[in-house]
Amino acid sequence: MSLALAGVGLTYANGFAALDGISLRADQGECIALIGPSGAGKTSLLSLLATAMAPSVGEVAVLAATPAGLGAAALKKLRRRIGTVYQAPPIPGRQRVVTAVLAGRLGQWPLWQGIASLFYPLDVPGARRVLARVDLADKLFARCDELSGGQLQRVGIARVLYQQADLILADEPVSALDPALALATVRLLVDEAKSRGATLVASLHAVDLALSCFSRIVGIKAGQIAFDRPAGEVSEAMLSELYASEGQELPMLATEPRFSPPAVATDVVTRTAC
Amino acid sequence: MNPADRDPAARRRLFGFLAALAILWPLFRMAEVKPGALFDAANLKVIGHFLGAFLPPETGAEFLAYLARATLETLAIASAGMALAGLLAVPLAYLASAAGREKPALNPLTRSLLTVLRGIPELVWALLFVRVFGLGPAAGVLALGLTYGGMLAKVYAEILESADAAPARALRLNGASRPLAILYGLLPQVAKELVSYTVYRWECAIRASVVMGFVGAGGLGQLMDQAMKMLNGGEAASILLTFMLLVFAADGLSGWLRRALDRPPAKRASPFGWRSLGLLVALPGVVLASFYFLGIGFGELFSLEAARSIGEFVAGFLSPDLSAEWLGKVAKGSLETLAISLVGTLFAAIGGLLLALPPWRAPFSFLLNSLRSVPELVWATITALAVGLGPFAGALALALHTTGVLGRLYAEALANVPAAPGRALRLCGVPGSLAFLYGTLPGAAPQLIAYTLYRWEMNIRMAAILGFVGAGGLGQLLYFELSLFHHAQASTVIVAMLLLSIAVDQASAWLRQRMR
Repeated sequence: MSLALAGVGLTYANGFAALDGISLRADQGECIALIGPSGAGKTSLLSLLATAMAPSVGEVAVLAATPAGLGAAALKKLRRRIGTVYQAPPIPGRQRVVTAVLAGRLGQWPLWQGIASLFYPLDVPGARRVLARVDLADKLFARCDELSGGQLQRVGIARVLYQQADLILADEPVSALDPALALATVRLLVDEAKSRGATLVASLHAVDLALSCFSRIVGIKAGQIAFDRPAGEVSEAMLSELYASEGQELPMLATEPRFSPPAVATDVVTRTAC
Repeated sequence: MNPADRDPAARRRLFGFLAALAILWPLFRMAEVKPGALFDAANLKVIGHFLGAFLPPETGAEFLAYLARATLETLAIASAGMALAGLLAVPLAYLASAAGREKPALNPLTRSLLTVLRGIPELVWALLFVRVFGLGPAAGVLALGLTYGGMLAKVYAEILESADAAPARALRLNGASRPLAILYGLLPQVAKELVSYTVYRWECAIRASVVMGFVGAGGLGQLMDQAMKMLNGGEAASILLTFMLLVFAADGLSGWLRRALDRPPAKRASPFGWRSLGLLVALPGVVLASFYFLGIGFGELFSLEAARSIGEFVAGFLSPDLSAEWLGKVAKGSLETLAISLVGTLFAAIGGLLLALPPWRAPFSFLLNSLRSVPELVWATITALAVGLGPFAGALALALHTTGVLGRLYAEALANVPAAPGRALRLCGVPGSLAFLYGTLPGAAPQLIAYTLYRWEMNIRMAAILGFVGAGGLGQLLYFELSLFHHAQASTVIVAMLLLSIAVDQASAWLRQRMR
């Protein structure tokens, strides 16, 4: 079992209930897409899994451990195995790409290695390998503030690839990428998870991207799970219901149906888009 | 190793490190850094005896009355000087700054005026003005006004330049004039920084006016000078406590102002609340009261007689002594001053960073504020007792005071860095120290470096006058020659101070550019 949430609720200090009665289980190696309108609670759910927050009620277990009951050392050990891709990559602008990527393994490196690597990057080939997978090998020694938003987002993904986490969490990992690159990058994350048997939980804005790349789709609305189905069983009606508050259109990768790549457009999506 | 995998920056880093070592090592030798002197038995006895006499602090009614009057005088000198400085700084900053200009144009004339104003330490200005206007607070106020006017103008100009230029540029492209583009596009971004820097400077002005007393320009310094000369620990302790009180009060005021600026404006047409209106009334009131209290007649300052004595005095300085022998002495003094400033700043940067790191702030803030509240010159009188006269005493004095300043600035800078990178690292199990090095420090580094270099620019000026109390460098030469009325020799020293501070400003600007 890779993650298990039982009756989890999360209420913020200002009284806003972000999550309510969430129960979700996933086996090691599963790939799950979280979809739903903005403000539905996708990010809150991911921060629970990332052990960044503790639930107000219910129980969260991640990688066979309950973060709430762990001491500092054990929690650190657990967190080493969790990698997160953020929508806005939390990387200092002045850091070089190579350093930002190598920082993915700081949890595994001993202290001296982390300090030494600030003076001379200790695993340049390793950093280059993961950067090549996101098409950024040429930016290895560039500074992060020289990159575009999309490039920086891919550096964040390269860092998680380098970390080799057992649980990969991704919060809108491709929001700053163009459609073709977004598709390739999400596939990269899924392939990475499958090849290493890691669990992947990604929140995605584009429904078609979720349906075409992930086997299991969890729809979230107003802090609750609206549906939890294999991608093939997600119907148009379920999607329309999920996004009812966002107007007529479903959020798609390519806003113009004509240009949506055929590989992405599953039946349901093509029909709703047209 | 694959040649493409070689870090292209490594060679430059190594070279920079070696170059820094090659420059710093001789300067360390020159500053006569000898930590052993701190633990020398004879020195320990002297300083122990002196510090022992601190308790109990002097509380006699007569002394307290003197102290109260001197405190008021110090506050008045600082406020009047700051008012003068502000009057100078705002137009000069506007002229000197590239902010809001469509093409980055620097005004070389204003910039060099600023350099001269700042380049000569306030104490030297005060020393000169005392000769022209006689003993009394007028010399202190003028000296403060000139130097601080130059400093404020420079920093205002740079703060305006450091803000995001896009909003002002957009306004200018829509036809707004430069002053309006600055008011609407830049000021909202930097108001907090400008206010906190001004209040911080006012606080420095209080310390500076304390020091003015050492050359006879009134205030707490005169009392301190007497107390130190007679090794009267009890009085010194009372005066030091008063410094601290003043600095803590200024701190509280600064915090209150910054919080007030953070608050969203009231929901009505006029953004001014009772606080702003109160300040608008209080500020001119304080300034007027200060001038009244000090009894400075501006008529006298601008009288014909004053002009004549200024003329005579300046004439004495127009022919500096350029003999090879004297130049050699001045060059040695300059190097010693440079060494004192560098070593002092370096020690302070290390000490300040260490004291800025701990997350539980209260005891460390108190320590930093205490270090900061004692002016360098006063520290120098104490360190001279601890390690003997000479450049090391000066470097230590600079380091002690600057640790207080930098530690506080570092702590603020670190607190203002975006927390996300460090938090993200901790969330993947990275230990706190590495999360700091990889996530937090890179965000703060430009500011930490800039603060340190700015401080070095100030310290070179301070190092130049520490010699007044026997801590080596150019100050010792100047004090000696001026008291013998050797104006030609003194003039050479002042020119050397000016050149040295210009050189350090350039070096610091270059380093800041390189390390951006």
